[in-house]
Amino acid sequence: MLFGSGGRFEVTSGSDPDWTLLVDGQANAKHQETATRAGVAIDEIAGKPPGREGIFGALAFSHSLIQYIGGQDDTNANLTRRILLLLESKAIGREDAHRRVVNAVLDRYLATDRGWMSGHTPYGVPRFLFNDIARYWRTVTVDYAYRQWTRNNQGWALRRAKLRMSRKLTYAAGLMYCFRLAGESREVPMSELDSGWKLRGIETLSGLTMSTPLDILADAFMTAPPLHAVGRHAFDSYDRFLGVLDNRDTREHLDTLPVDGAGSDEQYQFLRDLGERFQDSLSTLFIRDGRSRYPRLIEEYGVF
Amino acid sequence: MSSIGFSTGALCKDALAEAIDASDQMHLEAIELSALRLRELAGLVDYVNAHDLSRFKYVSVHAPTDYTADQEPEVADALLKVATTFHWPVVVHPDCFRNTTSWKPFGKWLCIENMDKRKTCGRTVEELRPLFDEYPEARLCFDIAHAHQVDTSMTEAYRILREFGTRIVQLHVSEVTSGSRHDRISEGALRAFQEVAEQLPRTAPIILETPVLVSEAQAEIEKASRIFTAALLETTR
Repeated sequence: MLFGSGGRFEVTSGSDPDWTLLVDGQANAKHQETATRAGVAIDEIAGKPPGREGIFGALAFSHSLIQYIGGQDDTNANLTRRILLLLESKAIGREDAHRRVVNAVLDRYLATDRGWMSGHTPYGVPRFLFNDIARYWRTVTVDYAYRQWTRNNQGWALRRAKLRMSRKLTYAAGLMYCFRLAGESREVPMSELDSGWKLRGIETLSGLTMSTPLDILADAFMTAPPLHAVGRHAFDSYDRFLGVLDNRDTREHLDTLPVDGAGSDEQYQFLRDLGERFQDSLSTLFIRDGRSRYPRLIEEYGVF
Repeated sequence: MSSIGFSTGALCKDALAEAIDASDQMHLEAIELSALRLRELAGLVDYVNAHDLSRFKYVSVHAPTDYTADQEPEVADALLKVATTFHWPVVVHPDCFRNTTSWKPFGKWLCIENMDKRKTCGRTVEELRPLFDEYPEARLCFDIAHAHQVDTSMTEAYRILREFGTRIVQLHVSEVTSGSRHDRISEGALRAFQEVAEQLPRTAPIILETPVLVSEAQAEIEKASRIFTAALLETTR
């Protein structure tokens, strides 16, 4: 599986090859050897190893992703892999295995969400899944601060730009992912036997997983005609951000930029402006403009 | 209530007559005559031409899966004679179609089975659709264990049943392991199967593919019938 920029279809010249060998089957001692060989091949193609956090470039097992949602065994890495599996993953191996694990994870979220299964959650948004996506985003923001602290601010400028753009894009797409089920109405009263409701939900969300965060966000703007201009601002900002990431000189400059140099650094300020414009567009979409259904859904789910 | 029976290969491997006798002893109404290996086909044809199986309410034949492209016309011809003589569906795996002209004459007697995850075709709606486009009269042998192995959430099973449910002529029931071996139905699989029970046609015969001893067959039949128990309770509520 590819995650990160590869999973979002946003690969630039400086992208990390964030891959995982996802195993969905019998345990086998040879899996580590396969992962090692895959790593060598991918590193050679990408010319660099995966990101430094140790979440990628390793084995992951479907069992952990499906069974450990919450609780002590749901580590930071497990949470990250699971949410990114849903929101920004692409199979570079067996697409059928990818789909199978995605559906099983979604089954876990929906089947155990009694409120959603019974049709009692307001507007039909799957709250368990929504809360876990929100938890993931908050974890990302807290980990950003942790890395600033433990790495003595090394590489902070690029990390911050990614937090404000690509990480936030994934979160925004995650909200829309859950909201896609809003408005679905149950045709029959709740019973434990009404699996069609759940299976239709899995089918819808699984289809979204096969798209990208940009596609999901674009669809949200496209289906709200009064917000087309706002959408253009969001995508223009994001496009420029990807342009910056694709410029090797700018990346290298930002990678070594000291914190106290940011105020007077033109390139950093440019990125900062892009981040504010992107946020402004998202705020309009999710909060300010009541002509779409999203502010109502955020009011219901976004805070409490 | 559906007729229930066994695939002869599951009940008595390589022993067609014994499997039929065992089915008789259990008073089963359905049976699938298995010739999964090409070497079994001639014996099957000889047997059905020499014996009356009209006591079974439902009979189907499972086509071989190990023939070559050169052997395909001869295999299809032998099966077509059986199908049209006795009016029995012939179950064929999607990866066994090599020359489509061999199978066109089957019309409604052609019964395409959805596949397990080892195969690269016939597993999903998208992979089955071109087959039914090619053979518009063909019917479906819905293998619920294959569908479960392909997607344990049963979403793909749900999709297949929604798209092709009206084509179903029989069900294959067992559990298929991650290594794609047929096995006895576990409680976990049973609960998964129950998720789509309401979409399964009530009258479609159930053919068990679980490898059991004859002495264990009745228990497996009772377990398989539980797929529908929950759904039946719901519809009569």
